[in-house]
Amino acid sequence: MNKYLQVGKISLRQEIAYPINFIMWRVRNVIQILLVYFLWDAAFSSPGRILFGYDRDKILTYIFGIMLVRAFVLSSKSMDVAGEISRGELSNSLVKPINYFKYWLSRDLASKVLNLLFATIEIVVLYFVLKPPVFLQGNLLLIFLFMSSIIFAILLFTILLFIVSSVTFWAPEAGWGAHFLLTVVIVEFLSGVLFPLDVFPLAVQKIINLTPFPYLVFFPLQVYLGKLTSPELVKGFVVDALWLIVFMYFLNKIWKKGLKAYEGYGR
Amino acid sequence: MEDKEKLQINNYKLQIVDLYKLFITRIKSVELKTWIKRLGFYIKIWWMMSKNAFMMYFNQKSILAIFLAGKIFRFTFFIIFLYFLVSGSKGLAGYNTNQIIFFFLSFNVIDITSQFLFREVYRFRTLVVSGDLDLILTKPINPLFRILFGGADVIDLITIPPVVAATIYMGAKLGPSAVSVFLYILLIINSLLISTAFHILVVSMAIITLEIDHTVMIFRDLSRLGTVPIDVFKQPLRGFITYVVPIGIMLSFPAKAFLGLLDWNSVIVSFVFGITSIFMTLRFWNFAIKKYTSASS
Repeated sequence: MNKYLQVGKISLRQEIAYPINFIMWRVRNVIQILLVYFLWDAAFSSPGRILFGYDRDKILTYIFGIMLVRAFVLSSKSMDVAGEISRGELSNSLVKPINYFKYWLSRDLASKVLNLLFATIEIVVLYFVLKPPVFLQGNLLLIFLFMSSIIFAILLFTILLFIVSSVTFWAPEAGWGAHFLLTVVIVEFLSGVLFPLDVFPLAVQKIINLTPFPYLVFFPLQVYLGKLTSPELVKGFVVDALWLIVFMYFLNKIWKKGLKAYEGYGR
Repeated sequence: MEDKEKLQINNYKLQIVDLYKLFITRIKSVELKTWIKRLGFYIKIWWMMSKNAFMMYFNQKSILAIFLAGKIFRFTFFIIFLYFLVSGSKGLAGYNTNQIIFFFLSFNVIDITSQFLFREVYRFRTLVVSGDLDLILTKPINPLFRILFGGADVIDLITIPPVVAATIYMGAKLGPSAVSVFLYILLIINSLLISTAFHILVVSMAIITLEIDHTVMIFRDLSRLGTVPIDVFKQPLRGFITYVVPIGIMLSFPAKAFLGLLDWNSVIVSFVFGITSIFMTLRFWNFAIKKYTSASS
């Protein structure tokens, strides 16, 4: 356990070693959120308007929530696994007495801590600049469930990154392309980062809810906002857990096959 | 006698004027010929560089397909989102669904064309850091031309025709006047001019600061604010993204002119900004290139 803690610490130091890089990355996040914020602010310009089941307070809380959940769930270093495989650097890790998955999870957690810290500062600053009406959840059970759904989401996303990175075992040049398509574009739209998925017609929502993507951002925020009934909550967590099991099983299979195909090019 | 002298002087004058006219015509025709020759030369060079860039993409067809799919997905998802958002909220900042989609399509025409033309800028930092820029500076072509246009992006090229077709289709539905269409086309060209100026600024800054990736990406993120009309944003952000970072002028003004919502003052400001920005950034480039140290080469 201690070695993974050390990996986390080193990773944290690495991030801090390039502060401009990190700060610029956070600035980009804020700009992206501003687009979404003002878009929804304009849509809710009429007082008392309720749209797609949200009032002004809840939709703006959703937008602010995106910043927080995104920092926790979607900030990840595991995307670099694809590069390690394609450059043959995976060989270095294979000969070390460490669990490769735990190694990256430690690095991810370090990155998430730093991102969360900055996201919190940004939220405070933006709150005082924009002065949005914010909905505060008082139900402790819902807060607990929200935090549980975040843990599920972190695991789900990390495993998804590993599965997508595994493509590079067979197609070393396709790593970034696969990530762009799946973990950038698809996740951006189907996880609820850009907009709450309630804007879609019910039939479309039902289909999207069967995919793993809404459980990364949309579902945790729905839990926090108290928009789900008890059966919906149970159903959500069951689907979430099922995807997690499927992903873990699939990753296990694909990783073993991938290691057999791995030839360590470049080393 | 005086009349004779006057006549002679007049004859001289006429001869001088004729000579001057002949001289100017010769000069102009030589200049024009040289200019056309140079243009042809640069078009040929651009075509050669683009062909090389395209061949690199076509060598990796699966990657090309993945990125193309990603771009198409992103474009389609955003249109679907805008459609549901604006029709659900019965308009956005005073615009209806078709108008909002037209803004988004116009944004894409400018954005994708810029990406297609200036993709090489994203690779410029490596040239400066490694000192490989020397290899470009010693070639008998304008280095700025090579740096800006050296690697056209085939994925963007593939997406341009459908986006333009969609823009024309949606634009026709809005029933614009001939003047609006003419202004729209001029302002789109002006936007591409501003985009060129921005890319010149970025490569110039890259020489001085060795930083390029974040400058470009932050500008691209800011550009995404132009996917919707700038009227959506409140002051002071609206003022900032209109005149300080010219997202509004570049991405919103053409569509506003098309809808007949742009006053003549803004049209003039837009063109003045476009032309001035090109001249200013070219001067900055001339300043920056002198700071290049050729380190690591």
